[in-house]
Amino acid sequence: MSLRTPETIIETQAVTKRFSGSRGLFRPATFVSAVNAVSLKIRRGETFSIVGESGCGKSTLARLLVRLLHPSEGAVLYQGTDISSLSETDMRRLRKDLQFVFQDPFSSLNPRMTVGALIEEPMKVHTSLSRPERRQNVAELLRKVGLRPAFSNRYPHEFSGGQRQRIGIARALASGPKVIVGDEPVSALDVSVQAQVINLLEDLKAEFDLTLVLIAHDLAVIRHMSDRIAVMYLGEVVELAPNEALYNEPLHPYTQALMQAIPIASPHGRSMDAALTGDVPSPLAPPAGCRFHPRCPHASSLCSTEKPELTETGTDRMIACHHWEKFAGNAQTHLREPPRSANAEKRFTLFRERCQQQEPTTADNP
Amino acid sequence: MLNSAPAATAPVLDVRNLALRFKDTPANIVDGISFSVREGETLCIVGESGCGKSVTALALMGLLPRSVARVTSGTAMFGGSDLLTLPQRAMADIRGNTISMIFQEPMTSLNPSYRIGEQIGEVVLRHKRVTRAQARQRALEMLDRVRIPAAASRLDDYPHELSGGMRQRVMIAMALANDPALLIADEPTTALDVTIQAQIVDLIEELQKETGTALIMITHDLGVVAEIADRVSVMYAGHIVEEGPVEAIFDDPQHPYTIGLMSSVPSIGPRSGRLATIGGLVPTIDRMPSGCRFSPRCPFVQADCLKAHAPLSTFGPEHRAACYFAPLETVFAEAAS
Repeated sequence: MSLRTPETIIETQAVTKRFSGSRGLFRPATFVSAVNAVSLKIRRGETFSIVGESGCGKSTLARLLVRLLHPSEGAVLYQGTDISSLSETDMRRLRKDLQFVFQDPFSSLNPRMTVGALIEEPMKVHTSLSRPERRQNVAELLRKVGLRPAFSNRYPHEFSGGQRQRIGIARALASGPKVIVGDEPVSALDVSVQAQVINLLEDLKAEFDLTLVLIAHDLAVIRHMSDRIAVMYLGEVVELAPNEALYNEPLHPYTQALMQAIPIASPHGRSMDAALTGDVPSPLAPPAGCRFHPRCPHASSLCSTEKPELTETGTDRMIACHHWEKFAGNAQTHLREPPRSANAEKRFTLFRERCQQQEPTTADNP
Repeated sequence: MLNSAPAATAPVLDVRNLALRFKDTPANIVDGISFSVREGETLCIVGESGCGKSVTALALMGLLPRSVARVTSGTAMFGGSDLLTLPQRAMADIRGNTISMIFQEPMTSLNPSYRIGEQIGEVVLRHKRVTRAQARQRALEMLDRVRIPAAASRLDDYPHELSGGMRQRVMIAMALANDPALLIADEPTTALDVTIQAQIVDLIEELQKETGTALIMITHDLGVVAEIADRVSVMYAGHIVEEGPVEAIFDDPQHPYTIGLMSSVPSIGPRSGRLATIGGLVPTIDRMPSGCRFSPRCPFVQADCLKAHAPLSTFGPEHRAACYFAPLETVFAEAAS
């Protein structure tokens, strides 16, 4: 974003998370490597997105970043401090900086606490503000996320999904964090409400000078919000690139397939293309070599034996593929959205102008 | 899309003025909607949660318990009879036979304790005079047709042994086992990943072409709509606010809700500033606005909108929208600039 050399705020060093699978009386324990030796650097002030299909380990990675999970191997550095080895007490101090917004606004808010108490709680833990000061902050935060301060006496069940997500965001902001990690923060919401929350997150990011880490599977949302994007497949990062570069010229065959599968909201668009056959293999027994090779249209014998490392390609991109240079240009043209008709364009503009004239988007009455 | 000039063929299903009301609520959850679908045609019903799209499907299938909701008006003519007044027993002969349905969640709609071959065979046994062996044979054929690799070895699998995409294929196999005249698919790809979603949408399109079944697809995903629909009905709070051929809906949207919905979807092209949003929330059933139900959220709202909801007026062949002020630019162009 800025011209200064980007400063790293969170770094993972070959971080691995294994979960133990089924263990029977006569069966040895099995392990799933949900995240397998992932190294990446998140820069201060950017929106960094992690994308992938279910089971690729993106949510696990998100939780590792803020130590909601302990890594099995490797380290997670926050501003140079290895948070994976900190004591609970030291970690609690850092939690002020690292906040999390969950996917499901229905299960992530304590139903017995009022909205005011929910948002106040992080301030009690992390700040020395007096009660009246905290109350004032709660009102301020509610306004910031587009809710009325009067709502602080109500309970979460009185609110819709979009409003609850706003409450979750206000709660995450309450401790004055530097980083917010959002695990699919908008995917449970309807399109029109989703757009409200996306705009809100962007406004808050600018206002509070946040670093945003987003986990998502919706490629259009990611396209809209991110600065840089990491694509994950079966627990590994296969490609990491700036937004424009990734969408204009996806290099990894998996990224290319993902892009081709995006449905485009125009009847004149290229048709959704099922570029991949088959399903994601079980992470219990990941394929040898490149984990993507059984589904990859370009796989060679090398791919089934030797694992490609995530390497720099120059121009701020990284890719884990033996053969990417051979078919780099393959998917370039897939993502051109056909222009809208004059009528549609005219009315979209009218709608937008009209909305802006009226009022900033607030989520009203529960 | 078998017949490109389908005006002559009678609709497979013709729903007129359907209204539904949940018990003890003051307003209709579905309030007088009409739509029809012809052989080989795909109608997409689009809308956000709570707009009444899934309830409509359940009502048509006779799956809404009378204790929960009742039909307050309307007809749904299918093969000469009205689905809304058929006795349970007659309805049971239709379900899974001439009309079938695919649900959103393939895990909860398959029985976890029966092998998938038995579950598909059961649908055939219920409706056709066949032996168990023939039913099993039909199940195998269907698994092949939904492109399940090594179908014969999969017949005796339990649902938990299959991935989400495979389960949805099994659901489709089951739904098509008796060559239904009408298939209703309620968000069939919403629970799936993009690459799998693309496979399933492709499959549904191909099978529809092969069989010529009429398809009603319920979805909130405009990308899927653009891909698969012949015609589209846009629902908001129990009303159809706009309907028309898919090109007309995308190229010449008339209703403010359709326009707002389309512009809140992030584009996959280069970023173009903030997303447009529709302010406010979908109204709840106990606080339905009078007049146009979209009026409290509509940036173009006028006094007339609060009095009565606009009837559907015509903007092109089969293209209708329920807004007094469409096309908007003819009324509001000056105010905007």
